[in-house]
Amino acid sequence: MADTNGTAMSELTFEQVTVRFGTGSRALTAVDSVDLTVPSGQVVGLVGESGSGKSTLARAAVGLTELAGGQILLDGVPLQHRSRGPRPLQLVFQDPYSSLDPRMTIGNSIAEAVPRSADYSRAGEVARLLELVDLDPERASAYPAALSGGQRQRVALARALAGRPEVILADEITSALDVSVQGTVLNLVRDLQRQLHLSMLFISHNLAVVRYVSDYIAVMYLGRIVEFGPAAELLGDPQHPYTRELLAAAPRRGALALDVEELDPALRAVADAEPADPHHPPPGCRFHPRCPIGPLVRPDRELCQTVDPTPDAGRHRHHTACHYAAAALQAVDLVQ
Amino acid sequence: MATRTKSGRHGWAAVIRTPLGLSAGLLLLLVLLLAVFAPVLWSHQASAIDTDHLLEGPSASHWLGTDNLGRDIFYRVLVATRQSIALALLATAIAVVTGLLLGTAPAVLGRRAGRLVTAVVNVAVAFPGLLLALFFAVIFGVGAKGAVLAIGFAGAPAFARLTQTLVAGVAARDFVAAARIAGAGRIRLLVRHILPNISEPLVVNATIGAGGALLAFAGLSFLGLGVQPPAYDWGRLMGESLNSIYVHPAAALAPGVAVVISGLAFNLFGEAVAKGLGVESIGVTRYRRCSEDSAQPEAPTSQYVVEDVVLSVRDLRVTFLGPDGPITPVRGVSFTIGHGEAVGVVGESGSGKSLTALAVAQLIEPPGQVSAERLDYLREPLLDTPDADRRQLLGTSFAMVFQDPTTSFNPTKRIGAQLAEGAREHQGLTRQQATTRAIDRLRAVRVPAAERRAGQYPHEFSGGMRQRAMIGMGLMGEPALIVADEPTTALDVTVQRQVLRLLESIRTEDGVALLLISHDITVIGQVCDRVLVMYAGRIVEDLPATALATGARHPYTRALLAAVPDLDTDLEQPLAVIPGRPVDPGRLPSGCAFAARCEFADDRCRTEDPELETQLDEGHRVACWHPQVVELGWPIRMGQR
Ligand SMILES: Nc1ncnc2c1ncn2[C@@H]1O[C@H](COP(=O)(O)OP(=O)(O)OP(=O)(O)O)[C@@H](O)[C@H]1O
Ligand code: SF4
Ligand code: SF4
Ligand SMILES: [Mg+2]
Repeated sequence: MADTNGTAMSELTFEQVTVRFGTGSRALTAVDSVDLTVPSGQVVGLVGESGSGKSTLARAAVGLTELAGGQILLDGVPLQHRSRGPRPLQLVFQDPYSSLDPRMTIGNSIAEAVPRSADYSRAGEVARLLELVDLDPERASAYPAALSGGQRQRVALARALAGRPEVILADEITSALDVSVQGTVLNLVRDLQRQLHLSMLFISHNLAVVRYVSDYIAVMYLGRIVEFGPAAELLGDPQHPYTRELLAAAPRRGALALDVEELDPALRAVADAEPADPHHPPPGCRFHPRCPIGPLVRPDRELCQTVDPTPDAGRHRHHTACHYAAAALQAVDLVQ
Repeated sequence: MATRTKSGRHGWAAVIRTPLGLSAGLLLLLVLLLAVFAPVLWSHQASAIDTDHLLEGPSASHWLGTDNLGRDIFYRVLVATRQSIALALLATAIAVVTGLLLGTAPAVLGRRAGRLVTAVVNVAVAFPGLLLALFFAVIFGVGAKGAVLAIGFAGAPAFARLTQTLVAGVAARDFVAAARIAGAGRIRLLVRHILPNISEPLVVNATIGAGGALLAFAGLSFLGLGVQPPAYDWGRLMGESLNSIYVHPAAALAPGVAVVISGLAFNLFGEAVAKGLGVESIGVTRYRRCSEDSAQPEAPTSQYVVEDVVLSVRDLRVTFLGPDGPITPVRGVSFTIGHGEAVGVVGESGSGKSLTALAVAQLIEPPGQVSAERLDYLREPLLDTPDADRRQLLGTSFAMVFQDPTTSFNPTKRIGAQLAEGAREHQGLTRQQATTRAIDRLRAVRVPAAERRAGQYPHEFSGGMRQRAMIGMGLMGEPALIVADEPTTALDVTVQRQVLRLLESIRTEDGVALLLISHDITVIGQVCDRVLVMYAGRIVEDLPATALATGARHPYTRALLAAVPDLDTDLEQPLAVIPGRPVDPGRLPSGCAFAARCEFADDRCRTEDPELETQLDEGHRVACWHPQVVELGWPIRMGQR
């Protein structure tokens, strides 16, 4: 079954990708010169807060959004977005209630995505795909309304797999689901990825979910990747202060306290700072107004307010976009 | 969520079931039958010239009299039905088809051509329809053909606009994007995905439009611009008998009445369908008021009268009358909240968490029915307190925070003013005092630059800030309890942490009790002292938060805990899952509601519903016949998928 995907290389590369929306004073750079590689057959988890540009990056890859700069390559070849025919990249959406056409049986929705040039029967392929996502092929004639959220999300996965893609982009595919069904979808995603050796960009705001499925993790903040590394390493030894904050906010078994003890006022202020306005991103390091080791807490670090740390990221562990990445460790330990 | 996508067929059946829908439908059917059969049956009578009875009034042989050639007007009106209806339908068809072509053009053509079409349609829509019709009538020439084209094209812009709006709405949905990624071309997108999803409103509007076309057509024929002799439709009949209207009013009125009745039939039917389908999609409005529940609150039982209790609830029920009898999404919930205590409520979606909170806040609107053996807030029985007093009590000592802070503020008023408003009403503060307090409260919830922020509008606040402002609003009085329903679900993890920390510090500093509702058991575990686990409208477990990690006894609680991945989840194992799906409150099984999904269920579970009872230790209640006592070993396996 892993036929088409088994041996082929399929590495997805974003090179200096920039996406802009709007013009004039409403202009917004949603994705800003992002470099990111999804190695063949591996899962890269992409985390970051809402509005940081995660979905835009995925939509750009499948051609739903135009690039303002840079390019996206599959195995070194720039993607051309053909308007017809199967696509090597498939996107699975967040909301299984709006991503399936309510007027189409799930079998037809899946069949539509089976390449027309395919030399196998469509009906057989639909049955195979339904089975692949653990749904009874008999249900091909059901309408989405008759399925639960988790089942719909499995249909959406089957539809994405119908084009025999080399890369799957999964955008928050469990966040519209109850925890009780989230598990079934995550298990399935992991099984399928291993079975079909898919390359995958797995987007979620939930670090615990990302950790469960990913080989690598990329952290995005306000349109930029601020840290990238092998999952276990990045979580075990985070370099960027924002990554550390995400980790601190993620659920941990048995950890109950919310640390409400009195912080010193400067730390308190950055801890309660508002997320930045993407229309007016802060100069220098975009994280500086919220950074617990940045200029608002350590006045000697005014460098952060003027100089963007991204170009130098390659010099740091995990490609961390922070001038003080090496120092991040002890300083945050003091805070916590 | 279940009502979000209803199959169309149900909707149409529901339309026929309403009195208006039924009578409009019957009327329409009658008109259509007449249109088909009247000429077959009566054209002979209608064209029989009788020179002995010219221009006569109503009589036994000619019910509505005769015209200037002695033809029977009654039969002529009946026979004219076909001509009138057919031409109106034809004109409507032209309007709909042209409108569809124009309306879908932007979706099919490229961006630039699409914009041009949109602009043309926008200009055309602005023209008065009758003027357009007259304009086209001149172009196409006098006569039935010209009139049909004129009315058709005059109606097209409105349909084009409607189609454009509908298409834009559907095209923005994810399933269209998904089909695009799957490689579907523009035409296929339109035909397979967009048109089927806009067909209902289009049909409804076409029906209403047919009524309009009928009237317009009658108008043109009446003016002599429509049907030409010897053919006749209602408009022409009216025109012919106009000269003798003072002598034979019936002859002029009858075709007019026919026009009005058929026009109404189309219009009313269209409206009824629109209403029927609309109601169907909202779902909730169809519940009728439930018959008065006669459960009288009993005298307080001593067991529950504890000094420090802020809220005491016993046997709380919320009932709606569904299409198949009453449904009770909250069925007998009992709990108390002590002074400064933080109690969390968890459960899957639809378990009744929000309704419980709304019932406590007295926010269940009339079609819903709240009953409780006891619902005491600060020792006032809320259900028996007169409205005004209750509002005063809740207004000053109770706060509610909702999931979506965007909808909880009035977008047109400044944040500061909105905070001040309630305080002036309930606490009798002057405008100055209220504003000062509002700024002070914004500062208390750590809104930076509170003075400046108070003068801003809700949209100028970020989600997290708005949520803090909402909490600040609750703190305008001196709340003894804050009820927060999914206050952080819409927020990012880091911002979520800010809001939770804020709630926590308010609680510890001011001794305010907290009822926190969330589907996320880890959030509850972080913030609360005690956790109530709800399933199918009942509390199935009530336990201290510290016991959550290891001491949960109810199979559902344990399954929920096991299902949430966290940073320590074993990566080698599949995630634990809860098989099956939550029960529908309208179809509760007898016995334990969780039985169908529970690995420990036996015959007793399937027949007898377990009560919430205190277990081994104080402060831990469980509703289960087989509470699990084995300490939770991670991960619990509940089967996969
Ligand atoms: N106005 C209403 N009329 C009829 N039924 C209702 C009404 N409001 C809610 N329900 C039903 O009551 C049940 C419980 O609803 P509730 O909103 O309390 O669930 P919840 O646990 O808060 O879910 P979620 O996590 O999705 O918010 C659901 O089955 C719902 O369909
Ligand atoms: S560059 Fe400066 S502000 Fe940015 S994350 Fe590093 S220390 Fe913080
Ligand atoms: S009562 Fe029976 S079915 Fe219900 S939770 Fe307990 S063991 Fe399971
Ligand atoms: Mg809710």
